[in-house]
Amino acid sequence: MILWLRRNLFRSIWDSITTIVFGGIALWFIWISIEFVFITGRWEIVEVNLKLFLVGRFPEELMWLIGASMVAIAFWVAAVAGGSPLGTEPRLRLAERIVDYVRRFGLIFALAILLVVLSNSLDSLLWVGLLGIGVFAGRVVGRMRRDNKIIQKLPGIIWQPMIATPAIALVIFTLLESTLELWGGFLINFYMALISIILCFPLGLLLALGRRSSFPVIRFICTAYIELIRGAPLFVLLLLAGVALEFFIPPTISPDAVFRGITVFTLFTAAYLAEIVRGGLQGIPSGQIEAGKALGLSTVKINSLITLPQALRSVIPAQIGQFISLFKDTTLAGVALNLFDVMTVGKVITKQDDFLGQGLIYESLIFVGLLFWVVSYVMSKESQRLEKRLGVGIR
Amino acid sequence: MKKELTLLSTLAVAALVLAGCAADDGSQPSATTTVTVQADGSTDGGAQVSLLESVKAAGTVRCGTRDALPGFAVLDSSGEHVGFDSDFCRVIAAAVLGDAGAVDMVDLETSDRFTALQNGSIDVLVRNTTWTATRDGAEASTFLQPTFYDGQGVMVATNSGYNSVSDMNGAIVCVAKGTTTEGNAAQESSRLGLNWEVRAFDEVDLILEAFLAGQCDGWSSDVSQLTGLRSAYPDGTNALKILPEVFSKEPLAPAVLDGDTAWATAVQWAVLATIQAEEFGLTSANVDSIRSSTTDIGIQRFLGVEIETSDGSAVLDPGLGLPTDFAYQVVKQVGNYGEIFERHLTPLGLERGVNSIWSDGGSALLTTIPLNP
Repeated sequence: MILWLRRNLFRSIWDSITTIVFGGIALWFIWISIEFVFITGRWEIVEVNLKLFLVGRFPEELMWLIGASMVAIAFWVAAVAGGSPLGTEPRLRLAERIVDYVRRFGLIFALAILLVVLSNSLDSLLWVGLLGIGVFAGRVVGRMRRDNKIIQKLPGIIWQPMIATPAIALVIFTLLESTLELWGGFLINFYMALISIILCFPLGLLLALGRRSSFPVIRFICTAYIELIRGAPLFVLLLLAGVALEFFIPPTISPDAVFRGITVFTLFTAAYLAEIVRGGLQGIPSGQIEAGKALGLSTVKINSLITLPQALRSVIPAQIGQFISLFKDTTLAGVALNLFDVMTVGKVITKQDDFLGQGLIYESLIFVGLLFWVVSYVMSKESQRLEKRLGVGIR
Repeated sequence: MKKELTLLSTLAVAALVLAGCAADDGSQPSATTTVTVQADGSTDGGAQVSLLESVKAAGTVRCGTRDALPGFAVLDSSGEHVGFDSDFCRVIAAAVLGDAGAVDMVDLETSDRFTALQNGSIDVLVRNTTWTATRDGAEASTFLQPTFYDGQGVMVATNSGYNSVSDMNGAIVCVAKGTTTEGNAAQESSRLGLNWEVRAFDEVDLILEAFLAGQCDGWSSDVSQLTGLRSAYPDGTNALKILPEVFSKEPLAPAVLDGDTAWATAVQWAVLATIQAEEFGLTSANVDSIRSSTTDIGIQRFLGVEIETSDGSAVLDPGLGLPTDFAYQVVKQVGNYGEIFERHLTPLGLERGVNSIWSDGGSALLTTIPLNP
């Protein structure tokens, strides 16, 4: 230990000085943070307004629908993840596995516990339990897909919608039961990001392929679209969607701000995604495509069997990075489209009688930051794991 | 390899489903939009439907408000709008529809409020809005009975040595961005030759930080806002004082769109009912007993009680387009002006001051129009 310290931190007089100065600054920052979080920070504002933060003004009696949707989404994600092929890494023993799970999902679990504690209600504990069951069930179903001979035979075009159906049905049902204006808080940030990610993916792929197409018209349209969207600030596009969409569509159809947001995020991210995927496509040696042609494969088959799988695998980090950025950018929609998103909640609640003018915007915004950070961090970590399993950088 | 293809196709299917759902929902608001296009009346010369009729048909009043105006309209932790302005939204709903709960609160940014009124996404604007000539004219709004008379002032630290605005030569005055406050402060400074440095901040909390850190000598805003901030000041209320000068007039009034007299009349009398009720001494607590026992013909008319006349008994219907018991519903469900004031503004430390009713020897600003047959 002492040897390690000497070798790494106090090797020379200058090393020692740097260590002491910067170590002191680091310790001071850590102390300030701990003091704020545990001593001076006044977290009642978060505790009292927890529901606003999470779902906005969503009606209390329909809250179970949101819980159920979350369970169904967890099931869906777990089923997709559970169905992924075995990686190359060695099989872990039970104890190692538990450590692995804690490392991967401990943070999400800690956040869930924090929210349960803050909410002061047993119901929330029940929902966390149900979420766990949803994840477990999804995993079992995913494993069946991978290991069961009969289920394996089902084509993806039937199987994938099957596992997504509960989630999509519940979200649509929630939409029909409540008015969209009452949706708010972290819920709309999450849904906007989720739906935009799902929608922008196929669009981005098509744009990437279109830009490499041998048809000049398609190539021109795709290139023009990508360059136009990538050249404009996201915030401007959001503002335009809020105001200028009226010029292009009949006045009787006035989509809700949430749909405007989803539209902009989808179109915007698709353009970036297209460039990311194109980068991946360019990394494929042209010999492979020529080999495909020599075998008499159609362009669709060459793309879907040879180039895209490799290209998509190699650009996972950049893709996830784009999705994380999209997720965080949803807070811009709160300002640009006047949505009651989690960021708006964080600002608005500091005007409540009990909290007015006490400088509680820090506590409130730190909580908002925490929500985003936990989700983004887990996304990033899982993408690294996916990369490893698919052997990016090795193959 | 196949996996990616299947994933792709799933996403495509999901996209279709979601697009379908989006289109489905897009058609829902269209029904309400058609009503407002008609009510707007600016599109064609056809028969105009007053908002009064479309509000009654819809069963809710869409009230333009805000969720972050201390004392006037804030969102409480259960997501309900509470405040002085929010209660006047409820007053209008109680008068027109007989149900104070039949309000859709539409939160608007300062910059969006008149657009919302003009494009028909709200029926009435009760959002701490100062009645000005430009807004009355160019913004095509009709302002009604002001609900609150405010004015801009300056707050300073008690130990700062400033006793009036004219003491503050060369001071740094901090204000919130994007309101009339900023311009008023600069105007006042040049009028008195004080060379203020006016610093604008996005957030009230940021001004507070700057003020606590000693970066501001004075803090300028509407007196109602300053009073609220003062009462919540971390160093105690007495660490701050509000200077006596008030250098702008801010009559805060509800507004409706120009050219809809029936609706404007309805909103006007809903607001007047709260003032009249206070003058009569009617509160939400005693209105039921007074209604059944009173012999005062003025109160009977006001509350829509049957009155014996030579032609038999009748209820006064002044023809305002409101139910004859509108005033009773307003007082019963929301309360009189004084009750609303005490509920939301007194806790902030605001005095009635110029907002006392005329019969209490207050100013003639809050006066009522006689409700005679």
